[in-house]
Amino acid sequence: MNTYIVKRLIFKDWYLYRGMLVGALILGLGTTEAIALAKATWIAVIMGVIVLATIIIGMGAIITSTSVNERKQQTLPFVMSLPISYIEYTTSKIVGSLLMFGALWLALVLGMVATILSTPWFPHGMIPFIVIMSVEMLASTCLIAAVSVTTESQGWMIGITQLGSLALNAVGFSIVRLPGIGGTMKSATVQWSSTSITILLVEFAVIVLIIATAFFVQSRKRDFI
Amino acid sequence: MTDLAVQFTGVTKQYKHFTLQNVNLELATGSIMGFVGANGAGKSTTIRILMGLIHQDSGAVKVLGHDMPADQAAAKRDIGFVSEDMRLYGPATVAWHMEFIRSIYPQWDKLYAEDLLRRFDIKKEQKVKGLSHGQRVKAALLLALARRPRLLVLDEPTTGLDPVARREVLAELTAVLADENRTILFSSHNTLDVEQISDQITFIDRGSIIDSANKEIFLDGWRRLRLMLPPNTPLPQLPGVVEVGGSNRLPVLTISHFDPAMVAACQQAGASVQAVDPMTLEEIFVVNVQNRREKAIA
Repeated sequence: MNTYIVKRLIFKDWYLYRGMLVGALILGLGTTEAIALAKATWIAVIMGVIVLATIIIGMGAIITSTSVNERKQQTLPFVMSLPISYIEYTTSKIVGSLLMFGALWLALVLGMVATILSTPWFPHGMIPFIVIMSVEMLASTCLIAAVSVTTESQGWMIGITQLGSLALNAVGFSIVRLPGIGGTMKSATVQWSSTSITILLVEFAVIVLIIATAFFVQSRKRDFI
Repeated sequence: MTDLAVQFTGVTKQYKHFTLQNVNLELATGSIMGFVGANGAGKSTTIRILMGLIHQDSGAVKVLGHDMPADQAAAKRDIGFVSEDMRLYGPATVAWHMEFIRSIYPQWDKLYAEDLLRRFDIKKEQKVKGLSHGQRVKAALLLALARRPRLLVLDEPTTGLDPVARREVLAELTAVLADENRTILFSSHNTLDVEQISDQITFIDRGSIIDSANKEIFLDGWRRLRLMLPPNTPLPQLPGVVEVGGSNRLPVLTISHFDPAMVAACQQAGASVQAVDPMTLEEIFVVNVQNRREKAIA
């Protein structure tokens, strides 16, 4: 693996998407700041969480579409004329997308958690639920990135993005009924139950599985352009 | 033994509606090969196999001593590739692209790149999306040339250009190529472009290589003999006649391996030789393709 070239390709995508990334970061952190300035009323918190979730999901779809865009905008022959193998290209796309998204995701999730923690009347017991849902968004973005790089198809990407949104709702509705999560949500303090930790571990395992599958599929590809 | 930059041996690639069949191709180091074929003949498929971008179903491909596609990353360190369907990043400037390529290729020649910028009349501060198609092709050529590749692969770089831009690109390319002793594979369906810069010609049609030789052999070997036959005089039997046109009295023979002795042979057979016309590469290509297709049907 030529890590130097993989890094160059990752930096390339960071450079090309830098405007959107900075814009999303400013909008996201501005939203958390606005919640705090609005004295953190219920409606402000709920609106803020919706805006942050929209930014995360939207940016996930934009960032992970780099592979599809390489084909659509016909820059793939340019990239593949460079001294790289399929696996190095795949690595740059998956790792690059996840690093870009991960940086934004982490900043916004930490901002959200910090806002909740700085709001004394807001139930801090919500935090495990919010973290689980945020990791679910991360897993969903990994799936979109994997499908994007393996299929390079906009149709598939749109389908998987919609599926990811439905899965997000389904996961949210399902876990809120679990006593280990729903039962502690109104608590004034953060309570990490074994249920919430197990769900988080399953989510991270799914992320690893998705990424491994993407590399496996790419390693078996015979035609790249 | 000739040092080969590219060697295809029995390469086959099958698609649902197209098959690249048993391609054997050799490109000697230092030569410039024009790879000519109609649209859909298999030029791009062959070049993509050469670049390791698609895997051949069978056969072996060696490029600059590397097995393809297994060693494609190593091979591509010394290949400059520009294709008709290749685009650069629209939101980025030419200067950013130059820096990006420089960071990957240690052999990047900064002075040469600056020289090419002037010759191609490109402003490096300009964003790619603001360039005309001709300028984008020139920018892609600059990025390929300034990395000082041992092998330059150009897949229909002049396709889609207006006549002025095409002429400019070819003129600059010819001037640039005159400077160097590079191995080049130049594919096009436009024989005029190929004739201008190549010293070797390979014709491909319907997935098969139909002819490959030195350009001079093609241009010197192919002739049209315009004869006048007296009544009841049979057509002289000559070797290498690919096509017989004209009328019974004024036949036109297209010959693939012309020999001046054929003129005397015609006269001895009672025919009067009205003219011996040289053929353009386009005429040679068209006759060659038609002849092979007719043979295939027969």
